[in-house]
Amino acid sequence: MTLQQQIRANRFRTVLVLAAFGLLVIALGGAAYALGGSGMGVLVLLVGAVYGVFAYVSSGSMVAKLTGAHPVTREEWPEVYHLIDTVSIAAGMEAAPPLYVVNDPAPNAFAAGRVPAKSYVVVTSGLLESMSKRELEGVLAHEVSHIRNRDVRLMTLAAVLVGVVALVSDLLARMLYFGGGRRRGGDSGQGWIFLVLAIVTILLAPLAAVMVQMALSRRREYLADASAAEITNDPEGLALALRRLELDHREIQHVTSATAHLYIETPLRNATGPAKIVAGLFNTHPPLAARIGVLEEAGGFRLPDDLPVAPDLEMPTA
Amino acid sequence: MTVVYILIAIVVVLLVFVVVLYNRMVRLRNEVDTGWANIDVQLKRRNDLIPNIVEAVKGYAAHERGTFEAVTKARAAVAGAQGPAAAGEADNLLTAALGKLFAVAEAYPDLKASENFLQLQNELSATEDKIAAARRYYNATVLRFNNSIQTFPAVLLAGVFGFVKREFFAAEAGDRELPEVSFQP
Repeated sequence: MTLQQQIRANRFRTVLVLAAFGLLVIALGGAAYALGGSGMGVLVLLVGAVYGVFAYVSSGSMVAKLTGAHPVTREEWPEVYHLIDTVSIAAGMEAAPPLYVVNDPAPNAFAAGRVPAKSYVVVTSGLLESMSKRELEGVLAHEVSHIRNRDVRLMTLAAVLVGVVALVSDLLARMLYFGGGRRRGGDSGQGWIFLVLAIVTILLAPLAAVMVQMALSRRREYLADASAAEITNDPEGLALALRRLELDHREIQHVTSATAHLYIETPLRNATGPAKIVAGLFNTHPPLAARIGVLEEAGGFRLPDDLPVAPDLEMPTA
Repeated sequence: MTVVYILIAIVVVLLVFVVVLYNRMVRLRNEVDTGWANIDVQLKRRNDLIPNIVEAVKGYAAHERGTFEAVTKARAAVAGAQGPAAAGEADNLLTAALGKLFAVAEAYPDLKASENFLQLQNELSATEDKIAAARRYYNATVLRFNNSIQTFPAVLLAGVFGFVKREFFAAEAGDRELPEVSFQP
């Protein structure tokens, strides 16, 4: 798959996500209509449409707010900016994306933004503390690849649109719980069918939303890894970074199912019990071991199973 | 009648095919041009830095004439180089000359400690990182473009439309190979 094909596929999937969002809003509108009458239905449709437009336009800054990321200036982080400058040049980007930080000890990173010119790369403070320069370069190259491959628009839109669908259906579920009884008294036969449909919609909406987002992620992670290896000419650096992420079991705060797919590695893997089964179903990332394996094969090297966890430790090069 | 239709269909399909191939080659050639422009920007930036560095070293080691001249000459060669391959060679010579200049600077602790010199040195090494990055991108685009015009069936059209092979920006040994990474596990 070439870069152009990937960009085209992403454009197509963006349309699909927007269409899926539209259908979900209509379905939710129908459910609201069944529950609360035409006024309710129209209101939901209207809110959905207004939100959709708003979210499309301002999705970039919304994701920053959702994840608690704030911008960092070149003066504050000259060295990291230098890394992202060189990585962006090697990727053939017109300009280096600005850096944002999330204050969180868990190492992780992602890129967001609707258009490449307005995209940004987010790293956690924990990432900077635990990675060597070479590993950090690999991570930044992975994120810059997401921007160049036009993955970010799709992922960003999925985050803001999926997030709201979950929110709205949650709201509707509450309405069903508190106010569903009112209509039941009048016309018996049809009312029940609508009610059942409404319940199914409310249950299916978040499910469908998560499925959409699941369809986005797995392949693009391999592709971004491959692009990053080409950009830095150092597949081992990225593999080391991924191994470090694998060995670190801390989890980032402020992650919902709406934003999980953005990160370089899945932030929801420490779930236990039923939550673990659900997380497995909606896993947005291929296992890190598989991704490391691909890089090992490409670069013709083999990482040790274990890395010293000490921060700022320079890895010996094989 | 059907024969005519079939012929028309074949011609249409061929035309579409030619258009697709042509557009692909144009797109890849544009990428090569962009890649070269990126290198050019960084080479110019470095060439702007060099006189300042030479001046800074001169302030402490005025007698190292030969080294300064070598650097100045190599710098002029980079600025005047025709085409990527020549520029790449000139660039390697300049890197070597600069290496000698910094070796000279090593002998002067005052110079090494000077704020100005340190800053220039940092800027130079940052710019050299960027040249290396721009070279990776440029050489990758050249490889893609050359492959696209030398493989069948595009090779049949490349000559007709005037697409010619592009030069690599000469790289240090061992730096030219790009890793082949497949997109699938």
